[in-house]
Amino acid sequence: MRDQPTGDQLLATARDLLREDVLPTLSGSQRHNALMIANAMSIAMRQLQSGDEPERRELAALGKILPLPESHGLALQQALTEANRALCRLIREGRADSGQTRDQVRALLLETTRQRVAISNPKYLG
Amino acid sequence: MMEETLRQALAAFIAKETGAAEARISEAKLLTGGAVQENWKVQVDITGGAYAGVLDAVIRTDSASGGVAVSHNRAEEYALLKAAFAAGVTVPEPLWLCADKAVIGRPFFVMLCIAGTAAGHLLVKDARYGGDRVQLAERLGMELARIHSIRPPRPDLAFLEWYEEAPALHSVGRFRRYLDSHAIPHPALEWGLRWLERNAPPRGDIVLSHRDFRTGNYMVDENGLTGILDWEFAGWSDPLEDIGWFCAKCWRFGAKGREAGGIGEREDFYRGYEKISGRRLDRQLVHYWEVMAHAAWAIIAIQQAERHVSGEETSLMLALTGHIAPELEYEILTMTEPV
Repeated sequence: MRDQPTGDQLLATARDLLREDVLPTLSGSQRHNALMIANAMSIAMRQLQSGDEPERRELAALGKILPLPESHGLALQQALTEANRALCRLIREGRADSGQTRDQVRALLLETTRQRVAISNPKYLG
Repeated sequence: MMEETLRQALAAFIAKETGAAEARISEAKLLTGGAVQENWKVQVDITGGAYAGVLDAVIRTDSASGGVAVSHNRAEEYALLKAAFAAGVTVPEPLWLCADKAVIGRPFFVMLCIAGTAAGHLLVKDARYGGDRVQLAERLGMELARIHSIRPPRPDLAFLEWYEEAPALHSVGRFRRYLDSHAIPHPALEWGLRWLERNAPPRGDIVLSHRDFRTGNYMVDENGLTGILDWEFAGWSDPLEDIGWFCAKCWRFGAKGREAGGIGEREDFYRGYEKISGRRLDRQLVHYWEVMAHAAWAIIAIQQAERHVSGEETSLMLALTGHIAPELEYEILTMTEPV
């Protein structure tokens, strides 16, 4: 068990303090730095909150398009990297140019990319 | 603060170049110091010679570390500025190049100082900058057409990479080679590159492309444009590469409705370009180059993040730039789908 508050909760509280109390006292390049820090904390917070569930879903979805590498025993990140490398090859070789594979690949890319934007810059999705 | 030895060496160089009896640097301010280079704004009091009086100038030096591999060094940038100035492009007038490292320890050149601001987010938000926006958009189109009047062969620009491929395919190849060397696969970007490959326009006119012609890289005052900046990525390419880069959604600083760089209307920008170049722009093809712009910016964002991650240059700015890649890739997926 981890102690509370958890990492994402700490980041949220620290970021709000930075934004509400510290930022108004700053100007110029220090203000710009503080905004960058708050942004970095938000990204880290969202990444912690989402956990590795989206990546497990991504790997499962990849498995419906590609024969997955022998991923048993591989760490999730490593398995994802290998599967996505295989997906890159498939796209580059034109095997996702048309037909059902095209539709499947596009749907997967849209979903995973939307998920990444939701971590990096959720405002972009409106 | 500019060190006294540097100050004196620069003053002596300027005195020699202008045939002055004496030159003295009365003010010096560091504008930007970074991995790529250092820029100093200086005021020089010159007695006698061709530039007698007070000279407001900018000194651009190579970085001590040598800078980013893909960018041009100062001698090359000086040659590009010279070529642009001669072609009638509004740029800070390049005055003198010093390639001799013995003078201040690294190459540098001197250019006239221009007034104004270049900050993209200010220009987009605050109408006080840049004067009339219809005129500004048209003017930028005219400037770009003048840049594109610079055509190969140019012995003075022989350092620019030459290639025989279609420019679009050349870029796709370069981006793929980078992705292959990178630890993290980017399948959405690969999707975009495959689309760019399949839809690539053939090689046509080859012109000098600025390759970073966008809001944020030109300077304006309250009356309008004062200069086109940042020439270090220029190269031979298809004229539409710069048009697509300027208009791409990712360079509008949030002002998505103003499709010409977040500051104006596309048609105003196009009109200026067509007026000077005498060539009609293929609107349909501009879309292709806007997809290319998103792919190119995504690659740069990944490279910037890598500089931080690898430990080459620890910087929160570089780190956060990497987190722009997902929205660029999302945009690519949207843009490559038939409507």
